[in-house]
Amino acid sequence: MAHVSVQNLSVVFKSNGRDVAAVEDVSFTLQRGDTLGIVGESGSGKSTVARALMGFARPGARFAKGAVQVGEADVLGLQGDALRSFRGGRAAMVPQNPLSSLTPHMTVGAQLVELIGLHAGKTGKAAKERALSLMAETNLPEPKTLFDRYPHEISGGQRQRVVIASALVARPELIVLDEPTTALDKSVEARVLDLVRGVQADLGATLIYVSHDLNVIAKMCARVMVMRAARVVEEGATRQIFQAPKAAYTRDLVQAIPHLNAHQPATPEIGSVPVLTAESIDFRYGKPGLFRKSGPLALNRLSLKLYAGQTLGVVGESGSGKSTLASLIAGALSGYKGQITLDDGTPLAGVAKTRSKTARRRVQMVFQDPLSSLNPAHSVEEIITRPLRLYFGKTPSAAREAAVELLGEMDLGPEFLHRKPRQLSGGQQQRIALARALAAEPDVLLCDEITSALDVTIQAQVLRLLHRLQDTHGLACLFITHDLAVVSQVAHRLMVLEKGEIRDFGDTAAVLAAPKSPYTQGLLAAYRSQERGAATEAPQHDLEPVG
Amino acid sequence: MADAALNAIPRQENRFLKALRSPLTVIGLVLVAIHLFLALFAPLIAPYSISAIFTDGLTPPAPEHWLGTDQIGRDYLSRLMSGGRVALLVSGLGVILAILAGTLLGMVAGYVSGWLDDAIMRLTDALMSIPELLLIAILVLTFGKDLWALTIIVAIVYTPGVIRVVRAKTLTIAALDYVRAAELRGEASWFILGREIAPNLAGLLAVELAIRISSAVLKISALSFLGLGISQPTPDWGLMVQEAMSVVFTDPWFLVLPAIALSSLIIGINFTVDGLARAYGISSLETG
Repeated sequence: MAHVSVQNLSVVFKSNGRDVAAVEDVSFTLQRGDTLGIVGESGSGKSTVARALMGFARPGARFAKGAVQVGEADVLGLQGDALRSFRGGRAAMVPQNPLSSLTPHMTVGAQLVELIGLHAGKTGKAAKERALSLMAETNLPEPKTLFDRYPHEISGGQRQRVVIASALVARPELIVLDEPTTALDKSVEARVLDLVRGVQADLGATLIYVSHDLNVIAKMCARVMVMRAARVVEEGATRQIFQAPKAAYTRDLVQAIPHLNAHQPATPEIGSVPVLTAESIDFRYGKPGLFRKSGPLALNRLSLKLYAGQTLGVVGESGSGKSTLASLIAGALSGYKGQITLDDGTPLAGVAKTRSKTARRRVQMVFQDPLSSLNPAHSVEEIITRPLRLYFGKTPSAAREAAVELLGEMDLGPEFLHRKPRQLSGGQQQRIALARALAAEPDVLLCDEITSALDVTIQAQVLRLLHRLQDTHGLACLFITHDLAVVSQVAHRLMVLEKGEIRDFGDTAAVLAAPKSPYTQGLLAAYRSQERGAATEAPQHDLEPVG
Repeated sequence: MADAALNAIPRQENRFLKALRSPLTVIGLVLVAIHLFLALFAPLIAPYSISAIFTDGLTPPAPEHWLGTDQIGRDYLSRLMSGGRVALLVSGLGVILAILAGTLLGMVAGYVSGWLDDAIMRLTDALMSIPELLLIAILVLTFGKDLWALTIIVAIVYTPGVIRVVRAKTLTIAALDYVRAAELRGEASWFILGREIAPNLAGLLAVELAIRISSAVLKISALSFLGLGISQPTPDWGLMVQEAMSVVFTDPWFLVLPAIALSSLIIGINFTVDGLARAYGISSLETG
């Protein structure tokens, strides 16, 4: 008998009296120990399917039709205590944001002990021992120390391990993971994924992994289900989906995955004078006070040159100082040692307000989260015309004309002028943010993780657009990212940062082909192992079904 | 992760109609509408003038005076209909002043920070540490109790609360990238406060306005009851309750009617605010 069976599942939202489908007619069956990846863009309904497996519909949604069966349990029919013991007992879910699923006022250990009492019936010393062994199983360092820490006192990767440990309390038969690594750095992600696979093999559990990241799915799952607009587009073995996708949408999705060294941009001729030069930049957060020293070096003797028409990629994990670098150049931070100058000799020191209008205009920045970088109270017209009026003193009507032209460059029609940011998709929002930056006719464009909040297909569009804009405007770009594959597509030269120091620097192709530092080699290895999973083999299933 | 279904819905549409689906919100809106109508038009639709004297003293309900006459012999229904006008006017004007001042000071404290923030917040703390009724009593003894004085007093009492709420929200907004973008453009502080931050406070301030007016009406009535607020011959529910204390056992409706009038206004405002805030997604946490 199938272990997990979903039949004709439909989930609908009530919206202004109408039913809108979030999931429509989804069916699949899994044997005990199977691994299924559900992939799709935001809004495809993949998370809704994951929740349905736990018998949960988000507020306002309801199960309209269909059945979900896990083992002998008819999940959608479970009520009250039966449902509670099913969740966390036979089936466990690991959600996307570990911080929001841990209680902030309880120590990590206390939360695990509470769950153990609830699902395994152990209390006191036995429960504590079980908690410590779970923490050891999930590779948490020094379980005894972490036991007494609060969630905010441990790192993101550790938090996610704690959530995974809490999901394992009752040795579940079904583990549902909803984008559990999206908020983590690549190398941390790789370790968490290894952990999940190990745990799944140990328990012989059925695994369902929801993600927008095809590479991760390929590494974790033997089968893949592709969803789009509430429906299943295609389902099959991972290898078949990657190598011979049937549906046009799946082909687009697979093609949009950025690959290392895929199409490296040809290096354009370097002008003799760099547009922007930074020389041996030292920077520390926090001013030294009477009783405290300033923080450690966030940037250490960092130098770089940006040339017109060229992109310098900056890669590093969180805390490497890459965003600090952009903030210093843009003028969001001040107080560094060293020199940053534009080609006309203007020094870029101090915060933006203290710089000349021209210096501010010539350096523009695009942010990571497109929604938070656009004021929700302003229309697209107000957003794009502001720099035009501020820097060039254009009249409202002239500014509007220029804004329409800029929208055209972003492949957006004039009708977008009257929209508000919340009425736009993530990709559209990011294009508006780009239009606002270009309105200033900058020479230097700072891109801080501008595609990391976007889906792969949208990311590909934005990267193509950026490429075209760079060609037409001769922009010098500083492209900051944690994603090696993305940077390999856009950057002519590449800089790898760790703890504020340059580990590797050179032409992108050269650095990726023969990284000098062990740090870069490690990053590349983590990447390659994931890509290999996607390109060649589906994970093996050498485990015997349990029970 | 938003689902397709959610993305497909234009978000701007008809939150107001959504609010109307809750019966409590409808009750609230109806009560507020009745009170506003009475406050505006009571003198035109009341059967008699509020100051005309008809009898020698208390009389029971009769065909020519539906609710009888009060101790001085004035028509009770007419006075009841006008009993909320002054309190509402004073509260409304006072709270609007408090919102204007509180928003300005709160935004400055939240965005500019430094010594200005410290100065504003310590002053706020000092004002808030005095019990409200005591503060009002002190101010009434200082400024007197004519309408303008009462309006200013309401403004002074309610400004610190608005400052706190606005400052907290400003801190959240100031951390967002669109404010960063404006700073990098080199926008002046007044532009960032007025154009980038202020428009995003609108929902919060609408809720603040309504909640604080309802609270202010209640306070004014309490003051009038204590003899520190609105005084004769102006009709006021708090004052009417106080006058009715001596006849509460013989003619209880003199006490019950103004009390019902006052509480229906407060309940109406609160139901309306709750319903609209929920529909517009303004959490009650923000309005603390």
